[in-house]
Amino acid sequence: MHPATSPTAGAPAGRHHRTPLTRRRLVRGLAAVALAVPLALGAAGCGDDDAGGDGGPVKLSVFWWGGEARAKLTEDALALYTKKHPDVTFEKTWQANQGYFDKLATLTAGGNPPDLFQIDDNYLAEYAGRSTTLDLGSYQDSGKLDVSKFPKSLLEYGVVDGKLAGVAAGENTQGLVYNKTLLQKNGLPEPTTGMSWEEHIAWAEQVAKKTKVPGTQDPSADYKALWVWLRQQGKDLYNGKELGFTAEDVTKWFELWKGARDRGATPKPDVIHEGNSSDITKQLVVTGKSATSWVWVNQMPDLKKNTKDELGVVAYPGDPSGQWARASMYWSVFKGSKHKDVAVDVINFLNNDPEAVALLGTDRGLPSNMDLRAKVSETATDPAMKQSIQVESDLAQKFGASPQVPIKGHSKVKSELVKAAENAQYGRATPAQAAEQFVTACKSAIA
Amino acid sequence: MAVTTAPGRTPRTGPAGPRPTRRRAGRARLGEGLAGYVFLSPWLIGLMGVTAIPMLLSLWLSFTDYDILTPLSEVRWVGLANYERMFTADPSYWHAVRVTLTFALIAVPLKLAAALGVALLLNRAWRGVGLFRSLFYLPSLLGGSVALAIVWVNMFNRDGAFNSFLALFGVEGLPWVSDPDWALETLMVLAIWQFGAPMVIFLAGLKQVPTELYEAAAVDGAGAWRRFRAVTLPMLSPVIFFNLVLETINGFQGFTAAFVLSNGTGGPVDSTLMYTLKLYISGFTDLEMGYASAMAWVFLVAIGVVTAVFFSTGRFWVHYSDGDDS
Repeated sequence: MHPATSPTAGAPAGRHHRTPLTRRRLVRGLAAVALAVPLALGAAGCGDDDAGGDGGPVKLSVFWWGGEARAKLTEDALALYTKKHPDVTFEKTWQANQGYFDKLATLTAGGNPPDLFQIDDNYLAEYAGRSTTLDLGSYQDSGKLDVSKFPKSLLEYGVVDGKLAGVAAGENTQGLVYNKTLLQKNGLPEPTTGMSWEEHIAWAEQVAKKTKVPGTQDPSADYKALWVWLRQQGKDLYNGKELGFTAEDVTKWFELWKGARDRGATPKPDVIHEGNSSDITKQLVVTGKSATSWVWVNQMPDLKKNTKDELGVVAYPGDPSGQWARASMYWSVFKGSKHKDVAVDVINFLNNDPEAVALLGTDRGLPSNMDLRAKVSETATDPAMKQSIQVESDLAQKFGASPQVPIKGHSKVKSELVKAAENAQYGRATPAQAAEQFVTACKSAIA
Repeated sequence: MAVTTAPGRTPRTGPAGPRPTRRRAGRARLGEGLAGYVFLSPWLIGLMGVTAIPMLLSLWLSFTDYDILTPLSEVRWVGLANYERMFTADPSYWHAVRVTLTFALIAVPLKLAAALGVALLLNRAWRGVGLFRSLFYLPSLLGGSVALAIVWVNMFNRDGAFNSFLALFGVEGLPWVSDPDWALETLMVLAIWQFGAPMVIFLAGLKQVPTELYEAAAVDGAGAWRRFRAVTLPMLSPVIFFNLVLETINGFQGFTAAFVLSNGTGGPVDSTLMYTLKLYISGFTDLEMGYASAMAWVFLVAIGVVTAVFFSTGRFWVHYSDGDDS
């Protein structure tokens, strides 16, 4: 946006005697304009949405993240609701995960948040702690929100400071996804649930030697892998309002993976960096840059869409009791919504209506309603979906208790882990230095 | 582009200038003044609503703990705490300052040099020179576009086009964009490549240098380099000054490419954590909008200071060819 024409406008070229003042002033004026441009960027939008009162037709705004497949399923389910309640229509907005929470925060700041929105455990406490979400407890008590068929731990994973801030839209758990085709072609064994971390790394090294494809993505920057590992050591990510681990724990974690990198079991740091993206299409197991990726079990079908190879999924290494039934994401209602009751009823519908649940399948994780989960599992046809259901059902017997929902500041803790781990990966810090840096940064993030 | 001027502009006064008729001049002037404000009002309303008011709001917010989610009516006044934290307790803030300075100090001079060099080449009456001017201008039209940044990232990936090109010569490339030692440099190259806008301004400036000066210099026996040093540079100095100020400000504000390259994180390992990106992350990801506002104000003051320094040194090297007949 340069005012590219400006200097010439002041004075004609060539022979005429230039009008000097004009020109000097022009240059200065232009510079002043240029200085004003950044200020214009500071603008924030405000808006107020006026919606009808009770009774009459209701237009409910719904906002979620996900891909096209999820959009299709969700739109179908919402259309079904409209069919049953012709008064209620929806204003649907969806986008990719990246940037979703920026947008949600901006909408909230502008006084224009969606009535009903999808949220995950990375942000639930941030929103609930600031009373942005409606406490759904009273609806649960009055029976308008039926959660009786939910596993208890899954329901409790939506409680922040004693308030039901979100209702699990599905259940998932950590899953180690591997490239079955590659392993079979090379006559290599598949990883199994219950392998120790050392065994996993040794296996990955073996894969790397045989196939020239690094055996495993280095998950040292991945909070969910660190979390499982910590729980297996009897620690946790958070303990009340404090960190549930020390710098020594993180040092051990970083050293474990430094060892793996030194043995050639993982890709090079720049490739690891690529795989640290939250983008499904960049996961190394589908880009062919490593034989395994560290993901959530319900992401299996999405991963499968991005590769021709067969994929398999098992639990993360170590004792599977380190894992838990996690709410893959929640539905939450904005506290200031004008249509709270309707929004809650929609949540109830999406979780408990047999038709709606059948439509939604396992896209957001296994259905939270156990009766309907059984039905969906029986009728699933997509092989990747079947497999993720299978693995998660098997794991359900072995799960440990759910941890507390991550606290305020968690999103920063996540990004600080990436920074510290990459510092160690690129060799810019020793594991101990990186761990120290991480713990210091965490403490100020959650303070 | 519209670099051509209307030579010999007739001395016409501005829109608010007096009309030939003198009758009831006072009323007419008042009417015209009013009309002026009416015509100005869309811009004025925009300026107040979109710029001035949010700006003042952000000044206030910079002294509060505003976190976006809490309504404005409930924010707490924290005095200078945000500023204190920025200067004393946030190492990543100073890191962002360092990254931004490095970027601006290297990319801006190189970009201007490239712009001036190409402008000199294109300031000739070749056939088809117009086409080349447009072609060189093109990259800056695409300017801050996200699409361009995405293409750039893909080009400089480990298996991107640039490394394939290097491979033709048997050189093994690096993973430029995901290597913390090279990611910022990749962004600099992108910025330098977009030299079209200052180039066009340089071209316009070059056209204004009176040809008789060159002729006189040539008669005096000055060679090409001497003519460049003694005629072109001084005559061009106001335009150089303008481009320098503008591009420095632009350079400080680099955001889009860094955001795209790092998925909004400033990675790998904070190597592309430009000031504005740090500001964005603080405000929207960490939900510390009060802190981000404080950062924005320090940024504004810093840019103001840098610009003031340029203006005060300008008198030593910017030559306006006014006053005494030079």
